[in-house]
Amino acid sequence: MKTRRTKAATVAMYAVLIGLAALWLYPIGVAIVKSFAIGGIGNYEAVLNHPQFNYWSAVGNSFLIAGGSTVVIVIIGSLGAFAFSRMRFRGRTVIYRLLLACLAIPIAAVVTPLFTIISGMELRNTYIGVILPLVSFNVVIMLMLLKNAFDGIPEEIVEAATIDGARPFRIFWQIFVPLSGPAIATVSVLSFVYCWNEYLLPNLLLSDESMYPVTQAVSLLQFERMSQEQIAQLYSGLILLTIPSLLVYVSSQRYLQTGITAGAVKS
Amino acid sequence: MRAHGARWVPYLYIAPVVIIAGVLLYTTIGFAGFASLTDWNGLTSMEFIGVQNYVDMFGDRTFYIALRNTLLFMVVTIVLQAAIGLLIAVIAKEKLPGSGFFKAVFFLPIAMAPAIIATVFKYMYEANYGSLNETLRALGILDDGAVIQWLGADLGVWSIIIINVFSWMGFSMMVYYASLMSIPEEMYEAAELDGAGWWRRLFSITIPSLKGTTAVLVTLGIVGSLKTFDQVWLTTQGGPGVSTHFLTTYLYQARLDREAGYSAALGIVILVIAFALAAIQGRMANRKDS
Repeated sequence: MKTRRTKAATVAMYAVLIGLAALWLYPIGVAIVKSFAIGGIGNYEAVLNHPQFNYWSAVGNSFLIAGGSTVVIVIIGSLGAFAFSRMRFRGRTVIYRLLLACLAIPIAAVVTPLFTIISGMELRNTYIGVILPLVSFNVVIMLMLLKNAFDGIPEEIVEAATIDGARPFRIFWQIFVPLSGPAIATVSVLSFVYCWNEYLLPNLLLSDESMYPVTQAVSLLQFERMSQEQIAQLYSGLILLTIPSLLVYVSSQRYLQTGITAGAVKS
Repeated sequence: MRAHGARWVPYLYIAPVVIIAGVLLYTTIGFAGFASLTDWNGLTSMEFIGVQNYVDMFGDRTFYIALRNTLLFMVVTIVLQAAIGLLIAVIAKEKLPGSGFFKAVFFLPIAMAPAIIATVFKYMYEANYGSLNETLRALGILDDGAVIQWLGADLGVWSIIIINVFSWMGFSMMVYYASLMSIPEEMYEAAELDGAGWWRRLFSITIPSLKGTTAVLVTLGIVGSLKTFDQVWLTTQGGPGVSTHFLTTYLYQARLDREAGYSAALGIVILVIAFALAAIQGRMANRKDS
């Protein structure tokens, strides 16, 4: 194919790429330029010393909520994936299908029952109260990804270990977990990013401003009538709040890209 | 693997995920189904009113506006994201110098929280001091002092659609790119020997090979559209008036207005649409494969 590409075709392709990239970089450029409007770097200082908005607390809350959810998702997801992949038991297929059907449930469709249940458990305005539903809504896709990875481990290894007298948990812990390193890394990164990005659940379940994660803390920088200066500060706040996501993205780009596309290709 | 352990051992392994995901989620659905048959403010006692909420819904103009907006968003975002994503994936496959940079640019929004992207766009779209109108004025496309109400009643849904395309096109691109790389190069070489040009190869080899991938993207687009909330709530909150409500935001608004029973009925309708569309789409994709 490369041999027959004309110069005109190459130019056309670059034109398309550059044109689209300009459109995609425009909002990002706007946010960066506007964040320095009026006050310059002072906007960033103002945001970091804001009376209502505490940047480090928002980032800390997000780390706690996303990190906690990720740990639970990886543990219960891999235990479940191991059973669905290698154990025989009554109802295996039915239970797995019922779980996969949960992928189609929009969080928004069940907000009222969720609010009532979490309130009933007296978990409103607690980290556990947000982590619990975050795990519920994110664990199923991760269960599926882990099961797909576990399915690829040869049965002979399991048989050999069984003959040697290894019990299921040992097979899980000493064979499946080490052999599925990349899949577990992918699932961890994806869970973390999805939980970090969640807005609706914290908005529904947290009203204590000191517990706001980054997605919710954005509201603390917005007011009814905003001056140009406040808008510039809002933009610097948005840039600051994106930095942790970018660091996660850059450091785990490989797992993130393969994970997101694998989730799509195998579902 | 049944030599060791009693029959109940496997259930021990699946219990946490079944209880935390399965039981909790199906309980919320059951609860929503029950609450949808009641008059309820979300706090105090429920009064059973049968299917009255559903009857009300069919006479509710806002419901149809929200339904229309959700479906319009679904169709347009699925088509645009697939078309642009495929275009870039096909170009990226040519391995032009610098294509890695372009892929990174388009994938970047996926790393950003939708809530943050939506807020950036909200202030960018603002009619008087927003950057978009400012830029259009600077380029001479818009007269000095003229405004376009990007988040007004006419354009609001389209502006929200653009936010979603910005956020998720890179995902379609990566998925298409991954499946393009799995088409055997020999197929292209054989076609080239037969004298097929670039366009001919695109339409007779590339696009037919991507049917399965496209089906997956359509399914994910359907499910994703029905989940869309942040981008609407954080830009227009359904306004002006009720013109840009989606089913999810209308449901949330009903909840805030202490119409929890009606809100639950809207939730059931969203779930029915989600499961029905997913089932129809899955069946159609299966038929094409076989």
